Amino acid sequence: MTTQKPIPANEATAGDPLTQREVRALAMGGADKLRRRGEQGLLNARQRVDRLIDPGSFRESGLLGVSSVIEADRDRTPADGKVTGYAKIAGRHVAVVSNDFTVKGASSSLTNMKKISHVKRTATERGMPIVWLGESSGARMPDNMGSRGMGTLLGNDPSQYIRDRRTPWASAVLGQCFGSSAWYACLSDFTVMRKGAVLAVASHGLASLAIGQTIEPEDLGGWKLHLEKTGMVDRVVDTDEEALAEIRTFLSYLPSHCNEAPPKAEAPDETSEPILAARERMATIVPENRRQGYDVRKVIEAVADPGSFFEFKPKFGRVASTGLARMGGRSVGFVANNPMFKAGALDVDACEKITRFVVMCDSFNIPIILLVDTPGFVIGVEGERRKAPGKIMNFMAAIQLCTVPKLSVIMRKSYGQAYLNMGGGRNSDEVAAWPSAEVSFMDPAYSAQVVTWGRESSDAEREALQAEMERDSSVYGLAEINAVQTVLRPEHTRAYLLEMLDIHTSRMSGGVGQHRMATWPTTY
Amino acid sequence: MANSDLIAPVSGSVWKIECTVGQTVTEGDVIMILESMKMEIPVEATASGTLESLTVGEGDTVEEDAVLGVIAS
Repeated sequence: MTTQKPIPANEATAGDPLTQREVRALAMGGADKLRRRGEQGLLNARQRVDRLIDPGSFRESGLLGVSSVIEADRDRTPADGKVTGYAKIAGRHVAVVSNDFTVKGASSSLTNMKKISHVKRTATERGMPIVWLGESSGARMPDNMGSRGMGTLLGNDPSQYIRDRRTPWASAVLGQCFGSSAWYACLSDFTVMRKGAVLAVASHGLASLAIGQTIEPEDLGGWKLHLEKTGMVDRVVDTDEEALAEIRTFLSYLPSHCNEAPPKAEAPDETSEPILAARERMATIVPENRRQGYDVRKVIEAVADPGSFFEFKPKFGRVASTGLARMGGRSVGFVANNPMFKAGALDVDACEKITRFVVMCDSFNIPIILLVDTPGFVIGVEGERRKAPGKIMNFMAAIQLCTVPKLSVIMRKSYGQAYLNMGGGRNSDEVAAWPSAEVSFMDPAYSAQVVTWGRESSDAEREALQAEMERDSSVYGLAEINAVQTVLRPEHTRAYLLEMLDIHTSRMSGGVGQHRMATWPTTY
Repeated sequence: MANSDLIAPVSGSVWKIECTVGQTVTEGDVIMILESMKMEIPVEATASGTLESLTVGEGDTVEEDAVLGVIAS
């Protein structure tokens, strides 16, 4: 157990008050509760910290905190249900909050909220990421009850829910997450969820009590809901251990704070077999036939450093793929249309997913690479009812407010407003296109119909018009007027991007951007 | 012997089947092509081995995540 500071257990010290208190605090909710968790294959709060951090690096803060509202709870609230402190992950300092569900369901109390505030303040002011290991039941009862309870316990920290992205936040949803664990998961830059955990405003029990709604926990806030429908979690795993490993992976791409460039990993050898094989694959992954679908994640995997693509929200807004990766050892964010789904036409979910991802990359100085193959935005009633124009503009504003380097590669289709959203024109620092690129305001099949609306026209006339428009959509029209700066073959994409990332390094600021969206919401 | 399911990546209809049952296939081979949203979506072999069975035919409508066939490897 590395979360325990060594406790002298010899006879001379066993009776002293400090040792007694330390032993009580480290015992958590007691042997029985801990054993039952273990039997379910669940780690306890301290084991989770151990598995997350570099061995032996935990410096606990607030170990001796206990309930301070109900006198009888003082001896029943070891560490007051939330384990907090500082540790190292891959040699870099982080702050950690690990909820101990065995102590009053890790409910929020006066003391443990002070513990959270303390490490949060330190992390934010000193420039360390925060890791939230979530499993909590909400506000502690009856401490919060009554006007005096509310007034005493809540509202003491006017910055409690401010997310200004000064340092990265990563969350794991590892059990029932109501109240603070749900809020911090939603405010984080990255959230991983273990299957079987629940993320919701309140429990299904309370939902049933308050509004008579009988609902299963999984339907109220289970992993499928959040992975596929709400997009509020980025990835889903089977075990606690996998969730903790994912947090380490996520943080490996991120700087410790917003005022430094992300860490650089070792660059792969450009003459190595995996890189050469990927280069060869690039020539054929995207079919020339514009009607043929393909999975753009194969393009990202072939362009990025081998094995470095870490996808976000793989089952939400799937018409676009987003994720962190490395190029020559540098962290980058990929935003790519995925013609495997709805032909790559951008829908409301994809707009939300991309907006959130772009804001995160920009806030932490991670350059963005846009891979473009989209016929445009999905049109129709469903999107309009879900505020499609507003979502499209959120996405567009995010792209224009970005100050990290943006590199756009048009692989195939790029049409209409989506051309701008995906970095067309001056919306990227560099635009390249493959010879297969086609750019216009509207798919020629539809535009030929639009220009002949209201007048007699034969099929032959419309077909001739369409053929002419298709010719006019070719990449060379863009290149001639410098709307793309480079036309390149697919297999040269990686070499081009590596060089452009070098050229577009923000030298004047040491790779640090302006973070103009740092206080944007984390959910749209 | 391990079996690997062929899963429909999207909802759509089966446009063209490119392999026959009993045929030897290599991971990544296109087994069939679905049509979805006017796009051709390939379904690729998830493992190398023998195409043991197909549960759909050309023209059939399939739901996302449906099992379309099995490869024995």
